[in-house]
Amino acid sequence: MKRKRNNRELRWLINISRPYLGWMMAGVFLATTVILANVALLSVSGWFITAMAISGLTGAAINYFTPAAAIRGLAILRTAGRYLERLITHEATFRLLAGLRQWFFEKLEPLAPARLQYYQGGDLLSRIRADIDSLENAYLRLFTPSLAALLASILMVIFLLFWNPAIALTNLVGLLIVGIALPWAALHLGANSGQRIVEARSVLRQRVSETVRGLAEITLYGDSQQRIDSIQQENKELVAPQRQQNRINASSTSLNGLFSQLTWLAMIVIAIPLVQSGQLDGPELVMLAFFGMASFEAVTTLPAAFLALGETRSAARRILDLVDAEPAVSDPIEPCAAPEQFDIQFDAVCFRYPQNTQPALQEVSFRLKQGEKLAIQGASGSGKTSLTQLLLKFWAADSGQISIGEANLENLTGDTVRKLCSVVSQQVHLFNTTLAANLYLAKPNATHDELVEACRAAAILDDILTLPEGFDTEVGEAATRLSGGQIRRIGIARALLKDAPIVILDEPTEGLDAATEQQVTQALARLLQGRTAIIITHRPQLLTLADHRLMMDNGRIMS
Amino acid sequence: MANPIPLRDRKHTLELDRWLKNQAKAVKSPLNIAITLGSVNGFFLIAQCWLLAHVLNATAIEHQPIMAVWPYLAGIVGVFLVRAILNYGNQRFTFEAAARLRTDLRAKLFNHIHHLGPAWSREQRSGARATELVDGVEELEKYFSLYLPQKQLAIIIPVAILVFVFPFDWVSGLILAITAPLLPIFMIIIGSQTEKLNRQQWRSLTRMGAHFFDMIEGLTTLKLFNAAQKEARFIGQIAEDYRLQTMKVLRIAFLSSMVLEFFAAISIAMVAVYVGFRLMYGDIHYLNGIFVLLLAPEFYLPLRSMGTQFHARMDALGAIEPIIELLNTQAPTEHNGKLELCLQQAPNITLSNLVFAYPKRDPVLCGVNLTLPAGSRTAIIGVSGAGKSTLGQLLLGFLNPTQGDIMVDETPLAHIAPSSWYQHVSWLPQNPTLFHGTIEENIALSPRLEGHEAALKQAAENAHALDFINRLPQGFQTIVGDRGQGLSGGEIQRIALARAFYKDAPVVLLDEPSASLDPHSEQLITAAIARLAVGRTLLTIAHRLTTIEQSDQIVVLDSGKIIEQGSHDALMALNGAYTERYNQYRKAGL
Repeated sequence: MKRKRNNRELRWLINISRPYLGWMMAGVFLATTVILANVALLSVSGWFITAMAISGLTGAAINYFTPAAAIRGLAILRTAGRYLERLITHEATFRLLAGLRQWFFEKLEPLAPARLQYYQGGDLLSRIRADIDSLENAYLRLFTPSLAALLASILMVIFLLFWNPAIALTNLVGLLIVGIALPWAALHLGANSGQRIVEARSVLRQRVSETVRGLAEITLYGDSQQRIDSIQQENKELVAPQRQQNRINASSTSLNGLFSQLTWLAMIVIAIPLVQSGQLDGPELVMLAFFGMASFEAVTTLPAAFLALGETRSAARRILDLVDAEPAVSDPIEPCAAPEQFDIQFDAVCFRYPQNTQPALQEVSFRLKQGEKLAIQGASGSGKTSLTQLLLKFWAADSGQISIGEANLENLTGDTVRKLCSVVSQQVHLFNTTLAANLYLAKPNATHDELVEACRAAAILDDILTLPEGFDTEVGEAATRLSGGQIRRIGIARALLKDAPIVILDEPTEGLDAATEQQVTQALARLLQGRTAIIITHRPQLLTLADHRLMMDNGRIMS
Repeated sequence: MANPIPLRDRKHTLELDRWLKNQAKAVKSPLNIAITLGSVNGFFLIAQCWLLAHVLNATAIEHQPIMAVWPYLAGIVGVFLVRAILNYGNQRFTFEAAARLRTDLRAKLFNHIHHLGPAWSREQRSGARATELVDGVEELEKYFSLYLPQKQLAIIIPVAILVFVFPFDWVSGLILAITAPLLPIFMIIIGSQTEKLNRQQWRSLTRMGAHFFDMIEGLTTLKLFNAAQKEARFIGQIAEDYRLQTMKVLRIAFLSSMVLEFFAAISIAMVAVYVGFRLMYGDIHYLNGIFVLLLAPEFYLPLRSMGTQFHARMDALGAIEPIIELLNTQAPTEHNGKLELCLQQAPNITLSNLVFAYPKRDPVLCGVNLTLPAGSRTAIIGVSGAGKSTLGQLLLGFLNPTQGDIMVDETPLAHIAPSSWYQHVSWLPQNPTLFHGTIEENIALSPRLEGHEAALKQAAENAHALDFINRLPQGFQTIVGDRGQGLSGGEIQRIALARAFYKDAPVVLLDEPSASLDPHSEQLITAAIARLAVGRTLLTIAHRLTTIEQSDQIVVLDSGKIIEQGSHDALMALNGAYTERYNQYRKAGL
């Protein structure tokens, strides 16, 4: 079972790299060329100076032009090849990663908000960026070097076979130990700590982020020292697996060096008697010695690569676990067109959140004619908000039917439904950009006049114009620069711009002082004109906007 | 922090470098040990080449049998073993040095964030901070573990090799000695270009982090406006820009290492060819020739790996800039108070002639005089922007008044040690932060008191939170997220109230705590606050009639000034601003 899951991640990594296969193969080819050019450069050099020395001693004639030119040519080939190889593999990897970020966000979108409510913002952030970044290792440090090492090793061993099988075999064994046995051992030992590093980083990141946000509460209620201690502790928990990784890394590079050195020494030891017996001449002995030394360049990168695999795989697993979650609502295969008529009808709707034992809605039925406004009252947890979540297709009812006009909600896509609805709630999310960009969100092709008009109707225009940079003012995090009432009215301006036939108000005047509430209510009255509306509130002022009232308790309609 | 600092010149880079090197002083001894091990390794490498040269000379040229070279071969194996051990030690010591530095730097950053305090953190993007503290500090790892020691070795080892090469073959020695300085020169020329680009890249990484954070938090909003797919493309666009920027940096970085490798490769080729010809003419002995050829690649190796470590340096420089910037940020308020406050009961609090203005801006509060009698409830009302929140921040001690005093009984707040004052104040913000952890940990943020279990239960009960906590599957041990996922607004408020009960401080500041609630929650919370008020000095930034009417004293704040003040009845009799506001509230049904 575990093996199968491991395969899932590797298969996925290979799958997503398919569009960039050409790039990757070119990278592998160039990497192989570089390795072989280097081996050839050193071997020819060794052969050349020994042959020259013997010719100097014996006075025998020698063609020195070809090897001397080959030495220079190989030096250039090696350098240029390396440059191109790095350029191409990095280009391929980063193209892949850029696409991956977008893909991840797109995958996340159908899961919001239902499936994401238990993931923390900070944690998601660490997933989308760091996890995807660490996939970089898979291609740059794992796939390309492994394939190039394999290809180069095969060619080198075949070359050695022409000289002597024993020497070829020795080199092969050395390459296998350094290239496969050691990396495998390192992988095995490093998998656990690799995963712990990714997790510890994410915990630390999350802790920092909540601490900065809640610094006031920590200062007043908590013990700052205790927080600092706990961050120190979490830092320790990050360093500990890193130390483990470092031990593995250091052992593996040391052993790596040791085994490759012992291998080429063994190759020399085998070759020396062959010189004695005349099977090899002196220059060939030196050539083989240099060949053996250089051959290990093919595999020296592998231990580190395999070690990185642990980290990469756990990042891939986290990405897959998140995006493979089933969306709470799936769109119909053959969706209906958007309805032309906007009566809203709930018919015996029941609903329970998966993690709760208590149902959120029980047998809820009501009918609201187009253009009418319905107020829903009830205590927190009585099911008011769940009702709107179902209407927006963020969740699906367990039983019963919801329809807009003639269309059953089940036959409409979520996007279609949400295009019909504007929502103003007590929590208006303003994005960290300009006010204008936040408004254009509702209607990307709106003219500036439309923007101004919507703001005027939402009674926020004057407030915006008094800001030094007007519509171009940047909104700070959590919109710290705007008051609650202002944020609410920007939300209303957005809803006005969207101009949808159905309006859902989810306690939009909560937490406002009386004067502000009056302004907001007036703005809302303008928003509701001629639209069908569901108003969740218990504010008397807002209730005056409704034609009908409904009282909910424990997921049931009371009156 | 919103605006990235414009890129600065080389001098600035050197400053950053110096800052980093200063940090390294703290771990001098492990770093020096690592460098020593690396240097010794270099000498053994030379010995290895010398032994191997003898083996090759004896067998390839002199055709001696293997018996003749056994001692050399045994010596080589010995050198291999010693070098493996030295290599391991070197890596371990550099890791420990870097790990200690990272830990210290994190602690320093964190202490500084606490020092900067809540008045600073209100303005921050928490996503960007997290990236800097976690990822930025991680980026420094390679600077200390690879770049710094390698920088020393890149001088020591080539010099040692040169010392050995010259006596054996001065021509090759000359080739090496002439080409070697070219490498660092090229490195510096190309490196400074890359550095600029690299700092830009780090900034864009930070920006990208904040952007994703924001988009993911607002994903539901994006969906409601059918804008999520468009944003996905936008994210793709940002990631694509990031790729282009990264590749721009890498192209130059790769080019720089190509130049380095090219010089190294051509020099080795030159040594091989020249040695070959001089061997043919019998100018030098083969032993010398092969020894030099074996050493030539090793001569360039430290310089070449220096080229790769150069990137570690640039990553570190890019990452360190916002860190230094954060460490250099001045706290918005300096606290000089030293007095330890010891209150037996709720204090009188007197604000006299209180003025507050942010630097270079119009005053937010201008001359507020107000007494909060011990054990009484005071409500402040006023439109948004009247200065209510600032008054709260001053009372909490997060900000210092520009002029005027806050007196706690007879002691000026400015004389009291902040930590001591914080122990005596509870605060209920409009949007309480819940930390990732259990509900128990969220109520008892402070160190556990004697009889913690009972106190926790009592606090939850007083805050009317016990019922819903007990209904949760894991009760007090239920894990909540940092925005209180899974809890309703009323429930989060009641946990915040339970915090105040648990803390049991004599001064309480409420910032519209009963907002955003249904009538049932509101009733519970109003009752809980009434209980909390008993025996405490309470200041409420109020928006609701029930809160206001229950107060002993009502203060109407307008444009930073108190315009009316007194009990409900007294103010109604005035028939002024309060009456007008009261009627508004009435009409609104609050």
